[in-house]
Amino acid sequence: MVHFLEIMDRALEGRFTSANDFDLSIFVPKLREVVKKYGIKYDPENPLSCDDDLADRVFKAGIELFAEVGVYCVDTKRIIKFTEEEILEGLAEAPRYPVFGEGNDAKVLVARKPESEVEPWCFLGSGGAAVSNERLFESILENYALFLPLANSITAPTIKEIEGRVVRTRSPLEILASIRSSILAREALRNGGRAGLPIMNSIASAGSDTAKIAGSQFGLRPTDGWLIGTMAEMKVNFERLNEITYVMNLGGHVVAETAPILGGYCGGPEGVAVANVAYHLISILLMKGSCQLTFPIHLHYGCTSTRDVLWANSVSGQAISRNSHFPFFILNYVAAGPMTEMCFYETAATVINAVISGGSIEFGGVAKAVEVDHFTPMEPRWASEVAHGVLGMSRSQGNEIVKKLLARYEDDIPKAPKGKTYEQCWDMKAKQPIREYRQFYQKIKAELAELGVRFKY
Amino acid sequence: MKKEEIFKALFEAVVEMDEEKGKDAAQLLVKENYNPLEGIENGLSKGMKVIGDKFNQFEMFLPDLMMAAKVFDSAMTILKPHIAAGSELAPKGKVVIGTVKGDIHQIGKDLVALLLETGGFEVHNLGQDVSTFTFIEEAGRVRADIIALSSLLTTTMVAQKELIDTLKEIGERERYIVMIGGAPTSQKWADEIGADIYGENAEKGVSLALEFMSKK
Repeated sequence: MVHFLEIMDRALEGRFTSANDFDLSIFVPKLREVVKKYGIKYDPENPLSCDDDLADRVFKAGIELFAEVGVYCVDTKRIIKFTEEEILEGLAEAPRYPVFGEGNDAKVLVARKPESEVEPWCFLGSGGAAVSNERLFESILENYALFLPLANSITAPTIKEIEGRVVRTRSPLEILASIRSSILAREALRNGGRAGLPIMNSIASAGSDTAKIAGSQFGLRPTDGWLIGTMAEMKVNFERLNEITYVMNLGGHVVAETAPILGGYCGGPEGVAVANVAYHLISILLMKGSCQLTFPIHLHYGCTSTRDVLWANSVSGQAISRNSHFPFFILNYVAAGPMTEMCFYETAATVINAVISGGSIEFGGVAKAVEVDHFTPMEPRWASEVAHGVLGMSRSQGNEIVKKLLARYEDDIPKAPKGKTYEQCWDMKAKQPIREYRQFYQKIKAELAELGVRFKY
Repeated sequence: MKKEEIFKALFEAVVEMDEEKGKDAAQLLVKENYNPLEGIENGLSKGMKVIGDKFNQFEMFLPDLMMAAKVFDSAMTILKPHIAAGSELAPKGKVVIGTVKGDIHQIGKDLVALLLETGGFEVHNLGQDVSTFTFIEEAGRVRADIIALSSLLTTTMVAQKELIDTLKEIGERERYIVMIGGAPTSQKWADEIGADIYGENAEKGVSLALEFMSKK
């Protein structure tokens, strides 16, 4: 495996070029070339693909793309490249069984295969969406611990205001918010009875490396996950490399975050699928990850529940799970918000797609994770129950369910309802959803059971 | 060659993203002494409209838009010096655009910058992680009409408010139209901070920019 210092050398000595040139003269032409070369074509009739050969071609295309294009370091304006031999070696040596969490909540994260009976890892919470203050932050985290029995790890929210002041990146307020997040998150999970549950997105309030590293001193453990991201497309900067350096020396877990954009430089779903595979390889070789967390996302709609993104996730998910033992998650962002039918249909479609295609799940962002306080523990609970309800399901059966769900929501994506706030849906004193929401949940559950989801309970 | 044939070549050059074809057609237009403004209107701009429509229908994507814009710009470089004085193709306005301090996201912002440029604005793209001071300084330097700020994080969108508050404090708020956009922003946020334009998406932002400029 290429040593991290060697990667730094390449960041300092690789081919010098502008970001614009990298995007338009290197990345885009090569991506279009491999899409054509490997005959990758979007099939809107089958958003949950059943084509093994297509998946394997996408994987090969991804290797070729990464080997030819490399990763662009924004700070040095140089390209970090890897040979195909190094890539294949990295694939063979990639982590297989990282362990997250402590005590009873310690668990091995394993890679899955399409149609697998192996339970997906459920990384549950808010997808980094923002709560308005510390009180709500603490409340929702405690309720995640109480209310999500299928959670294997937690994704904590961002805090928008600290001590009544709006948090801003690269200011002392960001440092304070990050410190406070770590302290409160740990305590809240303890109060909820799950002290060992790993926080896998480290500190959502931390935009800068300084804040993430500083905040982590106040409660994060090596068995948590440090969510560290690439930049679209196939770029990295020193801040992220700084974080990786720190986590590696801590003996911690990098959760390598990647997000190819449909409609951006990747073009359409074919390009997104291939880029997602290239990102999987970047997660191993450059990010030194324990796993990949990916969320291909639609440029126009800001969500992952559109038909074309589902297809890209499905095809690349199968490409990866068929050819790599390195675990990966598919994170989903749905357009609609809490306590809306659309939110639940979108969630079900994206989760079924991800799990049957061989991924584990992070759920996730509701109302696109951009509406403050618009999320509750009900939506990730729903995601986890659906995820467990499709274990061992065939791709063809899953595809039929996904298509039926798409028919219920896809035309409404441009004008999705943002739903209700946490405090509107949740009985804060009783620490459970309001009756109306519980009834709503059971109704939708019955609908999905009718469609074929085999709920555990 | 008839001017209509040259207009067609300019149009096709943009739609096919063929820079050489565009340059050749522009040079021919100049050589034949035809009106460059007609070439722009009937050839280049029509081509960009087709590309823009396909982009909005998700048949084409950002790189296609950028490559078409490159063809457009290359041809314009040849035609501009020959536009008769007095019928100068004046920009519809000047825009200073960037992603706010602490935020490194760029794709959405670059898309807006591109659409503004092809929509006839003179655009100064300051890049990412741009401080309030830099926005204001640059806007003053180029005598901008519009300051456009993008933010993709809830922890950085406060910088949009900061810019507007700072403009008020230094007595320059009325000098600029302020446009905001980005995933965590909304019309409600725009109203709350006193922004003039909320760009719900790139196309809407640009069309509102044109509307505001026409009233200025």
